[in-house]
Amino acid sequence: MSELLKIMGLSKSFGRHPVFSDLSLKLDAGKVYGLLGLNGEGKTTLIRIMMGVIPACKGQIHYKDSEVFFRSAAYKEDVGYIPEDPFFFGGMRVGELLDFNAAFYRRWDSQRADELLKRFSLDRKTRVKTLSRGMKLRLSMAVALSARPPLLVLDDPTSGLDVPTRYDFLQGIIRELADSGTTVLFSTHLVHELERIVDHLFILHRGRIILDEEHQAVKDFTRRVRLAFPGDAPQTLGIEGLLTESRDGQRMEAIVYPWSEEKEKKIEGLSPLRMDVEPLTLEEIFRSFVAG
Amino acid sequence: MITIETSGFIPIYEQIKKAIKGEISLGVLKASQALPSIRDLAAELVVNPNTVARAYRELEHEGFICTRKGKASFVSENSISLIQRDRVRLSEDLFDRAIAEARKFGLDAAEIRRIVESRLKNQGKNAEGENR
Repeated sequence: MSELLKIMGLSKSFGRHPVFSDLSLKLDAGKVYGLLGLNGEGKTTLIRIMMGVIPACKGQIHYKDSEVFFRSAAYKEDVGYIPEDPFFFGGMRVGELLDFNAAFYRRWDSQRADELLKRFSLDRKTRVKTLSRGMKLRLSMAVALSARPPLLVLDDPTSGLDVPTRYDFLQGIIRELADSGTTVLFSTHLVHELERIVDHLFILHRGRIILDEEHQAVKDFTRRVRLAFPGDAPQTLGIEGLLTESRDGQRMEAIVYPWSEEKEKKIEGLSPLRMDVEPLTLEEIFRSFVAG
Repeated sequence: MITIETSGFIPIYEQIKKAIKGEISLGVLKASQALPSIRDLAAELVVNPNTVARAYRELEHEGFICTRKGKASFVSENSISLIQRDRVRLSEDLFDRAIAEARKFGLDAAEIRRIVESRLKNQGKNAEGENR
């Protein structure tokens, strides 16, 4: 698969407060990426740097093998950006807003813009400021998708929306994926949502990418182990990759990544009375990764 | 109708595969009938099109469906006989899991066998009741 975007050694701090340092990741064309992180871990900052909204302190971003500079216009034409709180000129009408945006993009597809308005039941004559939060999100999607971007970046777009509206939104993204093979980076703290759509996961925690792995592999190799011992449980299981570990008298519980047969054998070597190994939901996995 | 369970532990592409096999074995999907397109099914289920594509690819690889280049996917002619074989294997998997669970409760082989027998008898009775 071809590499679309690559971030190398990116660092950012606000004043003396570092957000992240030496951060690297890459996006391959045609995949859906999920960027997970607790509130305030720098997801939005990372995305805003990627989008050229704010400058980085250090590091490089490469898009299709050429370096992206802060405020580079050509790159922005290739990336659709749906921020958490999209800014619109409220006094404009929906149609005017689309025409206004069309002027910035050489690849703007006005036929597609009209299709999207119809699909999202948006009327060209409505004033933007009268739209609800859900309708504004649809509008920002229409704007982003009409420019036919090879890369779509979504910054927690569904927070604060009700479930049906979120579902609707995801469905729109999926249609887009299927139609154009768009690459998507989806940032959210609503993990449950990602479960249906992501190919690959990043977890941003305490200024580092602590997980960079295929979604299915993460699910296949994260396991919860519950143990009961005849006497007191050992102090620790003493294996690598313990995300969490807790003991209570004869019992012990741990979450392990990556899980392997070797580790299973090693735990069996401690001769527990009982050993249960179970998979976890993405939400539980995320919680255990950021627990430490 | 396919329902996707995301809180469960069965991968989504497996769920799609299972649902399609289920529809073939029930006769809802018949041989040489067209399956929904990847795009439509992905939008309907609200899942990644890559996931649906993977399910279709594996079903094709296993011989249940055929895909013509650039065209829709169809239920293959020999899918029914494949499903007969598959059904046994899938049931065996389910029994394996149930037996493993029962062993965790400390039941031995004889007790498990007795449970299976009595359940079978029970269900037999219920089925008769329904037929009447």
